[in-house]
Amino acid sequence: MSPRGPQLPSTDQRAMKRPVFDVDAASLVWDRLRSLADAAPEAEAIVHVTAEGAPHRWTRGALIRAASRAARWLDAHGVRKGDVCALIVRHHPDFYPTYLGISALGALPSVLAYPNARLHPDKFREGLQGMARRSGLDHVVTERDLAEVIAPVIGGSDSTIRQVLHPLEALDLPAVDDAPVEHAPGRADDACLLQHSSGTTGLQKPVVLSHRAILEHVRRYGEAIALSEHDRVASWLPLYHDMGLIAAFYLPLVCGVPLVQLSPMEWVAAPVLLLQAISRERATLCWLPNFAYNLMADRIREDDLEGVSLDSVRMLVNCSEPVRADSHERFRVRFSRHGLRPEALGACYAMAETTYAVTQTTPGREARTIVVDREALAAGHVAPPRNGAGRICVSSGRLVSGCRVRIVDDRREELPPGRVGEIAMSSVSMFDGYRNYPEKTAEVLQHGWYYSGDLGFVHEGEHYVIGRKKDLVIVAGNNVFPEDVEDAVGRVPGIIPGRVVAFGADDERTGTEVLCVVAETQAEGDVKKLLGVAVQQAGMKIDVTITRVYLVPPRWLIKSSSGKPSRAANKARVLEQASVA
Amino acid sequence: MVADKLEKVILAELGLEDWDIVDDTAAGAVPGWDSLNHVRIITAVEDEFQVRFRASEIVRLRNVGQLQALLDGKTGAR
Repeated sequence: MSPRGPQLPSTDQRAMKRPVFDVDAASLVWDRLRSLADAAPEAEAIVHVTAEGAPHRWTRGALIRAASRAARWLDAHGVRKGDVCALIVRHHPDFYPTYLGISALGALPSVLAYPNARLHPDKFREGLQGMARRSGLDHVVTERDLAEVIAPVIGGSDSTIRQVLHPLEALDLPAVDDAPVEHAPGRADDACLLQHSSGTTGLQKPVVLSHRAILEHVRRYGEAIALSEHDRVASWLPLYHDMGLIAAFYLPLVCGVPLVQLSPMEWVAAPVLLLQAISRERATLCWLPNFAYNLMADRIREDDLEGVSLDSVRMLVNCSEPVRADSHERFRVRFSRHGLRPEALGACYAMAETTYAVTQTTPGREARTIVVDREALAAGHVAPPRNGAGRICVSSGRLVSGCRVRIVDDRREELPPGRVGEIAMSSVSMFDGYRNYPEKTAEVLQHGWYYSGDLGFVHEGEHYVIGRKKDLVIVAGNNVFPEDVEDAVGRVPGIIPGRVVAFGADDERTGTEVLCVVAETQAEGDVKKLLGVAVQQAGMKIDVTITRVYLVPPRWLIKSSSGKPSRAANKARVLEQASVA
Repeated sequence: MVADKLEKVILAELGLEDWDIVDDTAAGAVPGWDSLNHVRIITAVEDEFQVRFRASEIVRLRNVGQLQALLDGKTGAR
């Protein structure tokens, strides 16, 4: 392998590519990584990319040695097998060995989002405390900058968090002993990590995954995407999200495929960084939420792409938001002149509760589309368009081995083919239930089936996800619960408490949903204008952007049968009036 | 000091009629200026002032004062 990055394999080499599925699901993740490092200690494992300066290149051997050093340090500071360690760390090259060091001790790493500057510290602490109670966090591994903010939640009577640790700076010191450590005694069915289903701070649902679930899933998903030793994964995804953690971290590490990791914050500020990294590092695979296709197609300037080639990419996998045909088309048109092949535009359907993917499009073939009648679809039927243009639905692919899907009605009874319903699934790598959350588990898990709350249909073996059964809003890959937004806005002086609805509206330009709020007030004129800004600020305090604010007079909101303002009815009313205006 | 012209570009892009923007103003303090809208604002500033920022310059920015200084450096404070 060239020190400047790998060469694209020739056609002959591609034909001979060797799959990397010899993953033994009955082992431990740490043991798998050690055996890969023993086999090829100088092989590249992680290329840590920053906007400035040369990337930090972790070889397999160096990563294991640094992780062993981290494990010894953490052990000396009281981290024990079974403890949950929350990692709240920005993009840093020593994040990876710290994470793996926790894992080597048999403790459970759990990556949490670093607080955005706009999130009020009290709200962050409240969220962390809520998560600690639910997930049973024992230690917080973080940067010095955050120590003061976190300090008030340590050791209180209602907090499980015992201490805050700062191992990153210790890892910079000269190594005293970096011989590889042995994993704490354990079995494949032991808990390996804790990840949170995406959601508003403090309300995320904790999912514990075993070594077996991860290794089994990685093996099967690797098969589904025809992963080979010639692949390289590029990613800017945050590792507190299942797409980042499983598809773009565990999958490459466990399969011995190099990972090129960028900072999420740097990527969103300068999206061209991803394409430059793909080109420079000859990456072949990348997972992206739908909005990223729009952002890159619309916001990257041509002269920033000088010398950038995407001809190494064999698959971009669209996941975590409904896949939009328009987004794929924009991206294809924009980047085909830079070597993007249309067959590289793939998709998958995944969630933390099944470790990751349930369906995946076929490698080497663009995600299929189907044009259906909008009215029939809204009524729950898949039919060809009757009048004019229909809705283009993009397939998320076929079942990954070990997964099953059923489309069910409101009574959870299976619907015949051609019908739209809730997507239920079972998988060999499915979770056993949310940690310390039996009531939520009982809602979604029944007789071995997980009821996702997503709406979709199956056509000719391909799975199409078209929306949500519940009112969850997905903004740029992040789940936002409307209840949280309504609660925050309802506390704004001048807004009538309880007379607020929040919902998501499709935004074709950005390729994602935008968050909208309708709130009743008696204010008028200039006061009403100021109130609109105050509503947006209320959103900022819980780290959500309210894009559209509709302030309406008292008794404007339509109530549902429960007596509460109806999100669906008021959304329809507002959007109808906006379109007329 | 943040020039009126820069403030106007930012406010127009965010659809705000008025908001006090000073050197220390960070994106997170302005309604609507989130990470997703940041790239839109940067592009609008580049277009308005006929300048180009490098990715490494963009990711270093911490407040509007730094954006103004970067802009002044590009335009020679013309």
